[in-house]
Amino acid sequence: MAYEALDFYDIDSLLTDEERMVRDMVRDWVEDRVIPNIEEACREGGFPDEWRVEIGEMGILGAPLKGYGCPGLSYIAYGLICQELERGDSGVRSFASVQGSLAMYPIWDFGSEEQKEKYLPKMAKGELVGCFGLTEPDYGSNPGDMITRAEDSGDSFILNGAKMWITNGSNADLAVVWAKLDGVIRGFIVEKGDIGFSAPEMKGKHSLKASVTSELVFQDCEIPKDRILPGVKGLRGPFSCLNNARYGISWGAVGSAQSCFNSAREYSLSRIQFGHPIASFQLVQNKLSWMLREITKGQLLAYHMGKKKDDGSWIPEQISLAKMNNVDMALEIARMSREIHGANGILDEYPVMRHMANLESVKTYEGTHDIHNLILGRHITGIQSFTRES
Amino acid sequence: MGTEMGVAVLLKLVPDTTAKITVSGDRVDEASIGKWATSPYDEYALECAIQLRESGYGEIVAITCGKAESSKVLTDAAAVGADSLIHIMVEDDKLDSIQIQSLLSAAVKYSKSEVVVCGKQAADTNSGSTGPGIASLLGFSCVGSVSTISQNGESFLASRLGISGNEEVEVSAPCVFTFDKGETELRRPNVRGIMMAKKKPIEVLSASDLGVVIGESGVTIQAHSSPPEKSPGQIFQGAASVPEVVGKLRDEANVI
Repeated sequence: MAYEALDFYDIDSLLTDEERMVRDMVRDWVEDRVIPNIEEACREGGFPDEWRVEIGEMGILGAPLKGYGCPGLSYIAYGLICQELERGDSGVRSFASVQGSLAMYPIWDFGSEEQKEKYLPKMAKGELVGCFGLTEPDYGSNPGDMITRAEDSGDSFILNGAKMWITNGSNADLAVVWAKLDGVIRGFIVEKGDIGFSAPEMKGKHSLKASVTSELVFQDCEIPKDRILPGVKGLRGPFSCLNNARYGISWGAVGSAQSCFNSAREYSLSRIQFGHPIASFQLVQNKLSWMLREITKGQLLAYHMGKKKDDGSWIPEQISLAKMNNVDMALEIARMSREIHGANGILDEYPVMRHMANLESVKTYEGTHDIHNLILGRHITGIQSFTRES
Repeated sequence: MGTEMGVAVLLKLVPDTTAKITVSGDRVDEASIGKWATSPYDEYALECAIQLRESGYGEIVAITCGKAESSKVLTDAAAVGADSLIHIMVEDDKLDSIQIQSLLSAAVKYSKSEVVVCGKQAADTNSGSTGPGIASLLGFSCVGSVSTISQNGESFLASRLGISGNEEVEVSAPCVFTFDKGETELRRPNVRGIMMAKKKPIEVLSASDLGVVIGESGVTIQAHSSPPEKSPGQIFQGAASVPEVVGKLRDEANVI
């Protein structure tokens, strides 16, 4: 049966032809290439290289960026791409988010002309893979206290420190690394093969298994002077990237929720207990209608956020709300869908347990759920509560 | 044969092959069909036209005949490489095969194409009459159910699955090829193609623009009905059931 994405309020009618075509292209690709192969990718524990090639061929990486071989699509189209990829698997969406929003975006916004020309066209085609090094073993929600340092040695910069939980890390040709230079956070481009740089993979994940997660280790890693991102200083740099990625996640979460809802709906219609489909029982209908309600609200949030991204009238707190709300609802829907599937829900025959395990990560990456609450708390009260010190 | 020659690709918008079809009253409930797409065999025809162009043959004109929604097949074709787009706009979607063939042949003539490619049949009606029908109206040769075609000097070589293996057919333009699935892989669109497709104009032509008088149809569809429900399967367990299964395979299913 054709995948019919839940669209109760007809968001489809609000899209341009171009947005719809891009959405359908990615949807068809996910249907053909991701869904039949995702469980094997999870078992093998990696991101299949042919997916990188095919995503590159579709030309969707760095979707909203313009120029330098980038697609130049709307933020709505970028959101739709994330939605469709994450309907397949959060790991696939993570690959695209990291490449586009966290690696291409800082080069596009803060890089020198030479850096943009050198990296962006190849990254847009997926020929070069990027990753983003901000989080450290001891500094997650509090990146401002990062330990990684850069020193100016005259002819070059010397990096020392370590980053952790880096999506695409071991597969990356380049890393956008945030480190302190004279106490100020700056962005640096580190290339695979730079002396003193290594990216060991982190093994044993129960979540995002089709995605590569790594450490980045810098031991007297020497990089040329022209690898610093000249256009930004301080946390504004990494936070600008995160705003874009979080926006994409707000759509991606809708995709996984749609997948879980679909599976629950189909399963409950075909599963007979006490002589009737379980979909005919009130408690199951209550769950399905709650899912429909939450997905519909999440879609409207994501769509409106996209419109604001497109017209530039957004504030970061709105993105915090969209990311937090949509991942939260998607995770609840995944759990509820698993429950409707009963024991079958734990099998890889159905996508729900995989989405559920993925969303546990998504809930606490790119700003934990709680930190987004604190961002909103500060917005409401004017009082920051991240730290005891003021 | 120069590059000024073109290939006309005939495309039809049909319910996606995986869409759920319901019959309401005595008609297929089209409003309930969630996904519409280019008829799959037509996609193979389009792919082949793109390959022909890549090997140096002429430009591709994509032609569809249908209501406003049908323009989707043209834009989708442009996204993978069709050069120009013609939409024969008809309000009445109950035209019969002959009426549609006369419109399509007039559009082919209008486009000055000497090679016409289309699916061997549409995924909705499965009638399989369009290709041979327009070949007959235009006086073109017709080779049916081909899987690939290639240029061979002044003529074309078409390959199709025959009764005892692959059959190679040589034919000269003007000609019509209808396409079967074959081994050809369809290309995917990409963002660049989609953005170019958006800018590509669609030439909208009416029957009178093409000088076609549609006339009265001699065919009316009496009723649609759903296929009968499949009877449930039977489950046999254990070695003891082997004679019974063999018996059923022999006497009921007639397969052994």
